[in-house]
Amino acid sequence: MPHGDLEAAMAAIEYCYDQGWTDGWPVVPPDPERVAAFLATTRRPPDQVIWRMEHVGRECTVELAAINAVMAGCRPEYFPVVLAALEAVIDEGSPKIGAWQSTTGGAPILVVNGPVRQRLGFNSRGNVFGPGFRANATVGRAIRLIILNAYGIRPHGLDQSTQGTPAKYTCCIAENEEDSPWEPLHTELGYDRTADVVSALHVRSIDFVDNRQTADPEALLNDLVDTASRSGALRRLEQCTLFILGPEHAQLLARHGWSKAEVKRYVAERAGKTWAELRAVGKDATEPPLGFARPSTEAERAGRDETAWMRPFRDPSQVLVVVAGAPNAGVSAVAQPFSTRWRKVPGHARVEGN
Amino acid sequence: MADAVLLEKRGTPAAAICTDALRASADAMAKVQGFPGFRYAVVHHPVANLDDAEIRERAQEALPQVLEILLGTSGGH
Repeated sequence: MPHGDLEAAMAAIEYCYDQGWTDGWPVVPPDPERVAAFLATTRRPPDQVIWRMEHVGRECTVELAAINAVMAGCRPEYFPVVLAALEAVIDEGSPKIGAWQSTTGGAPILVVNGPVRQRLGFNSRGNVFGPGFRANATVGRAIRLIILNAYGIRPHGLDQSTQGTPAKYTCCIAENEEDSPWEPLHTELGYDRTADVVSALHVRSIDFVDNRQTADPEALLNDLVDTASRSGALRRLEQCTLFILGPEHAQLLARHGWSKAEVKRYVAERAGKTWAELRAVGKDATEPPLGFARPSTEAERAGRDETAWMRPFRDPSQVLVVVAGAPNAGVSAVAQPFSTRWRKVPGHARVEGN
Repeated sequence: MADAVLLEKRGTPAAAICTDALRASADAMAKVQGFPGFRYAVVHHPVANLDDAEIRERAQEALPQVLEILLGTSGGH
């Protein structure tokens, strides 16, 4: 690249910083030619509104989405996936109830299913939550830039996050359908296996479960259930969870005859805490819809069976299971979302043109 | 904050109460609702873990500000 061109590119990147358009990382300057190339990948008109956020009076059009996808570093052919990802995030319901602004500081995790994974190079295997894959990195980042720029939800302003989460930069995985013993997520949601689909769930943290030792499926499930039950994550009475099982764990369970539905039922029935355990952490007075609202009073404890079990998951449908990662160790993850009130578990949308 | 601004826009007097830790977000919301500088009552943070007596203190803190806002006299934030 001639030196003058590099200087111009650097100046354009700095210009984007000066406008407040970035997430802290450099962005690709969204010149009109590049934006046009993105818009050419969809049949939707540029001025079509994807969703209007009434309580802040802002909306995202197809063109605004394209500008942010360019800035995120996407290739033009990723743009239909970005649009589906945004639709899935909105379908899930969290943006409408102000979760993007909440002190709880969550972010959408995106799960990509279907042949688009191979076509565009989405990583579903080793380091699935980590760096190194342009499609994962930039599609997730495009959603954050849309939240920052199109909707104007910025930290120290409308975004009140106390701590936030690294997933706010980007959090996009693909399901490892090839190493999974079960049906993939999108077919559970009613799509054909050959459909390209993005699913979304607003989550607050992604916790690891390391269990390479056991060959006992129930012991493994109990380890996962413990993480899904941890008291720090208990906030609302109706919760959901997303298990991202490493292929080794999924295959161990399947080898012993466990279907995905049976795994979900087991988790929904076993997860939770006793009143005594909740009391020990100051969360044993429950007030719908607030949830694990406060420590109990003496009157509230009178006659209560302290060994009774509080279950955070209403039924097995509140437990999502996908398979992702490398088949090289007994490692899985549990994503801890927020409440399921007014939310769909998960939101989802089909990628256009597939 | 948005609710208070929207109520005022519809002609219903409204006073929002906010803790001091959340003022930046409150101001940002007032701005996007088209009312930069919208007055609201401010109490000390936190609220969520207070006992009854401490909550009463917060109410005492809020009350004169709320009255000023609703009665249209000077004060508030």
